[in-house]
Amino acid sequence: MSPNVRLSRAVAGTAAAALLALISACGLSAEEPDAQAAPSTEPIVIGMSLPLSGPVADRAKPGMEGYQYWVDELNAQGGLLGRKVELKVLDDSFDQQTAINDYTRLISQDKVDLLLGTFSSDLNVAVAPVAERYKYAYVQPSGGADEIFARNFKYLFFAQPATTQKLPDRFVDLIAAMPAAERPKTLALVQLDDPNTTQAADLFGERLGKLGVKTVYDKTYAPDTANFDTIANAIKQAKPDLVINGSIAGDGVSLIRSFQKIGFSPQQLYQLNTPTDPGFPKAIGASNTEGIFTYLAWSPEATYPSNTGFVAGYTKQFGAAPSEDAANSYTAGQVLATAVKAVGKLDQTAIADWLHQNKVDTIVGPLGWDATGRPQGDMLLGQFQGGKIKIVGPESAATSKDILFVKPGWK
Amino acid sequence: MTLLVQTVILGLLVGGVYALMSSGFSLVFGVMRIINLAHGAMIVLAAFLTWWVWDRTGLDPLLIGVLVTPVMYGVGWLLYKTVVARVHKADHELAMVATFGVAIAAGGVMSLIWGTEVRSATPGYFNTSIELGSLVIPRAQLYAFVGALAILGALYALLRGTFLGRAIRASSTNRDSAALVGVDVERTMAQMFAIGAATTGFGGAALSVIYQFVPDSHYVWIGRILCVVILGGLGSLLGAALGAAILGLGEALTASYIDTRWATAVPYVLIIAILLIRPQGILGGRLRTDGVHP
Amino acid sequence: MSTDAATRRRVSKRLIIALGILFVAAIPFLTPSSYIHNVLILTFLLAVLGSGWNVISGLTGYVSLGHSAFIGVGAYTAGILAERWDISPFIVAPLGGVAAALIALLLSLTTRRTRGVAFVIVSYAMLELLGLITRNWSSLTGGSQGLLMPLPDWDVRFHNWPFYYALLALLLLSLAMTAAIRRSKFGLGLVAIRDDEDKAAGIGVVTPVYKGLAFMASAVLVGVAGAIYGYYVSFLTVSTMFDIVLSMQVVLAVLLGGRATVWGPVLGAFIVVPLAEVTNTSIGGVDAGAWRLIMFGGLLLLVTLALPKGIIPSVGQLLEKRRRGEASSLTGARLADTTLPPAPASERAAAGQGRSTDVLRVEDVTVQFGGVKALDEASLVVPAGSITALIGPNGSGKTTLFNVIDGTYPPAQGDVVLAGQSLAKLDRTGRAFAGIGRTYQLPRLFNSLTVVENVAAVNSRPHNRIGSLRRLAHSSVSGAEAARATELLEFVGLGEYVDAKATDLSYGQRKLVELAQMLMLDPEVILLDEPAAGINPTLLQRLSELVRALNATGRTFVIVEHDMHFVLSLADRATVLARGKVIAAGDPNEVSTDPAVLEAYLGDDFVLETAVITDEDATIGPRS
Repeated sequence: MSPNVRLSRAVAGTAAAALLALISACGLSAEEPDAQAAPSTEPIVIGMSLPLSGPVADRAKPGMEGYQYWVDELNAQGGLLGRKVELKVLDDSFDQQTAINDYTRLISQDKVDLLLGTFSSDLNVAVAPVAERYKYAYVQPSGGADEIFARNFKYLFFAQPATTQKLPDRFVDLIAAMPAAERPKTLALVQLDDPNTTQAADLFGERLGKLGVKTVYDKTYAPDTANFDTIANAIKQAKPDLVINGSIAGDGVSLIRSFQKIGFSPQQLYQLNTPTDPGFPKAIGASNTEGIFTYLAWSPEATYPSNTGFVAGYTKQFGAAPSEDAANSYTAGQVLATAVKAVGKLDQTAIADWLHQNKVDTIVGPLGWDATGRPQGDMLLGQFQGGKIKIVGPESAATSKDILFVKPGWK
Repeated sequence: MTLLVQTVILGLLVGGVYALMSSGFSLVFGVMRIINLAHGAMIVLAAFLTWWVWDRTGLDPLLIGVLVTPVMYGVGWLLYKTVVARVHKADHELAMVATFGVAIAAGGVMSLIWGTEVRSATPGYFNTSIELGSLVIPRAQLYAFVGALAILGALYALLRGTFLGRAIRASSTNRDSAALVGVDVERTMAQMFAIGAATTGFGGAALSVIYQFVPDSHYVWIGRILCVVILGGLGSLLGAALGAAILGLGEALTASYIDTRWATAVPYVLIIAILLIRPQGILGGRLRTDGVHP
Repeated sequence: MSTDAATRRRVSKRLIIALGILFVAAIPFLTPSSYIHNVLILTFLLAVLGSGWNVISGLTGYVSLGHSAFIGVGAYTAGILAERWDISPFIVAPLGGVAAALIALLLSLTTRRTRGVAFVIVSYAMLELLGLITRNWSSLTGGSQGLLMPLPDWDVRFHNWPFYYALLALLLLSLAMTAAIRRSKFGLGLVAIRDDEDKAAGIGVVTPVYKGLAFMASAVLVGVAGAIYGYYVSFLTVSTMFDIVLSMQVVLAVLLGGRATVWGPVLGAFIVVPLAEVTNTSIGGVDAGAWRLIMFGGLLLLVTLALPKGIIPSVGQLLEKRRRGEASSLTGARLADTTLPPAPASERAAAGQGRSTDVLRVEDVTVQFGGVKALDEASLVVPAGSITALIGPNGSGKTTLFNVIDGTYPPAQGDVVLAGQSLAKLDRTGRAFAGIGRTYQLPRLFNSLTVVENVAAVNSRPHNRIGSLRRLAHSSVSGAEAARATELLEFVGLGEYVDAKATDLSYGQRKLVELAQMLMLDPEVILLDEPAAGINPTLLQRLSELVRALNATGRTFVIVEHDMHFVLSLADRATVLARGKVIAAGDPNEVSTDPAVLEAYLGDDFVLETAVITDEDATIGPRS
């Protein structure tokens, strides 16, 4: 018999033995949660998997810091149910399968007490079924694409004021409020191929169309597009008054740069997501941000009760003002903590039920959810004025009464 | 009409950038028959080095690119000696896989050193253009285009005019015979590989100005580089220039006239099409694939 | 080695494997930990992928960087159909396999023009392109929104079980398929293609069919696995399903475990997946992903540099060396002491008995390489049953003429006619079946195979019926074919070397194996390309005896040679080439004294001293 075959035998035997060892090491434990309550001095463990490395790491980092700040503040105030709270964080590198693995492990292996959600619609849409299956309340700070909520999960909650569905509302209202003669006549829609942005683009096109704004350009670009010059050129040739760019991150900056190179500046420019990135002004030139619209879930100047404290405390702890990502995580933490305190025990179903029936006061205002986990609030409309984003809608939250209806050209 | 002309201009300029990035790869591929899938990672590394120096000193990135060139030469030399020379003799496909391993690991190393934030260098001209009537020529791309011509020209002169170039061509055609006539084959191969790597210095600098980049960007670039070299054909620098122009035009025209979403598919479609229809590329010489084996 | 010991080893090997499988199958009963199930599910998936990849990349030698595309094809096919027809993805999973097999078949068509590194690039481009098409065809696939799979509706405690067992079953099926292929004649043909595709084509291996089948086999189970995996993940996106990193993991796993072995992919998967898991959990924090990349890239590098064969074959080799230890290598009997066995009969020659026409005619063939005319209206006539010599100085075009005859080069002008029929439209394999057999100046054998396998790999009849295709499934070296191969090897004097590896043979012995291959092919004409080059006089003597004996059974030979003595002692006819042109043709004696020939070969001041050596004088070499 050939040595290869003999070796294969040995290999099979060793693999079997190794597996046995692995299983024993992990313990042959039952899947059902422990019947008896944990001793009351043990810390409460909250599990999460975040894309700390990989393509969105630069947004995950502040998100992580938001969670961190929330836990530190909570512990300083006595913790949850009289116990300290700990975070158990895994890194999925923005890979769906890894995220699924991680949450499965956190739930079934590490048996964490609570969960908090990860970042981006891509990851949340993959993880939500896992939480639902094991009946863990899943409050997530950053997955707004509609399809996440299409499955009518009972344990899922989105910790922002609204999903993508409602995103265009404020801006469309703004345009509607203008006299017909002053409205932009033509519209260019250019967006990254992503469920979040393409859905928003469709809604924008439809609703602005009803107001008489004609769509003269509507194209979706691949996520790995690096060169936007041709696209910028084509848009320039179409001569739109208003450009709405459904961007996710760096692509928004690249498009603007291409506009600058091609020498095209629309009357109005609305960009999703990118403008709230702290590096945005530096990337395109601070003076070039003037007049750019975007949406915000959260604003540092909003006067909701917990917000001022959050901004001050976070800035003190990390040495820089919180970004939107940090705020989203903090909000998720707030939602979870409020529900746990109200229910008084670590009962996932009770927590979920309570959240469906009650509103939670957060730094983005009072949040409430429908049966599918969709929040029932509205986003804020922001505009860059003087190098900073100011809230220009709704009036009740506005930090600037002025609205620039015509964007200045590039400098 | 303006749309077409402007699209063509943009496409050709982008082609110039591609030619710049691919020149070293084409050299190494065409003359040494080595496919170095880590070439894209080297470009990104050069981009990071350029950005890093620019961030600290404010010097013009393209000038920094000239300084980064000898550094990349060293990187190339090291890569050849430690990895390529060893694997290449045995199994060409495995050699490719090995260089891909280097690319992946390099991405990780760059993430560790510089993090994963999006970077780019923004000297004064990064978003300005020269205007010709209603047409625009973005400055940064123009400078890269000129740089591409210069580097391709230099490489061509190197191959045809110098002893090193002749030694390279001899060694790659027939190693043993070259050794017999006194060529130090190992050293020559290392030098040529290192020269190919050195071109990424300026290429990376151009990248840092024209595009934004992260450590993972190397995947995107290696796909395009492969397309350029395969289009143009084995052993032909002129072919690489041609291939780059075709790819640049193809992407620009697809984005403008067909659909922006398909623009990124162009390199892959071209790769498959060319390898099926005319495997030696547009200007590549015919490969003798008869039964004589060494 | 006694058959008792062999049987014992085989039985205990089977026992261990059975135990291992039983244990793995029992794990869901032993532990309800979803986490462990999850890790094993991913391991099975990678192992199935690896097994499939092994068939085209390990066995057939076409290294692919895009194999994970078949996961995507299978997953999306099942997902779309499950949604349209409102049924469980488990039911439509086989259709995912079918879709993957069809795409693989298309890919195999590209291999007509692309091999080696070009194919690696094509496979990578295919992966990216399929991903892009899937994403852009959003009306069908949901595009970047992704595709929702139906939610499982069975008890959550057993949530993982169907996926676990389905993937385990697929893995076992995969292993069985790979083992069956390796044992069969089909597998032999694949290895031949890997070692030397052109040579394989020349000995009757219909490479497009073999490759097509291999590609389909490599993809079909992967497609089914993809469908199941998609259902497991519950949500399909292009980036997960057409993932270059997964493709790289497959390559890493199989390289690590051992290419072209049955269990290599399994071992590799059981190393790679847990390693990824461990890295993920132990190195936490921002840099975890970067370290993971460094580890994978580094491991890939390490494997290709230090352990290119993989673990199982490398360790196997070590054990073999230790076992062999002092055993000496085979030595053969002194040729001078052995007598020639009777020559095996030729079916074709028997069928063609009585035909007195020219069996092979080369008519005015011109071949040009750039500015050089390698052949200039060269013609050759080969009478049936003759030994025709083709001689000429170096560079005169002799090997090129052979290359034209066997189909490697299409001539710019002219034609090759075999038994009255033009070969112009036939490719190499077609010509092999029509009756052209050819050896090489430097003998080309399949280095991974043993001597008898080298000969048994020859196909003398085309597969144009299902029955013939089924022959592919038969075991490669037992039965009538093996017996015939052994008989031929005994005839050429390599009876002791039947099970030796091709790489263990000397140069002269390799030539003899090539000759045996020719006999196995049983063509109309056997072209020998410089058979006498570089072998010792005793072997030379034996070789001419062999040729004469075979010729006596009716076989036709064309011999290219420099060695005038050898050629003139054998040949009935000679044709002389110089600088691509035929300068003389006819009786060997006349030709050898033709002044034009002498000038071309030797310059006009040389006198050929020795006359033709006849049979009676035929003892060149040391006497015993």
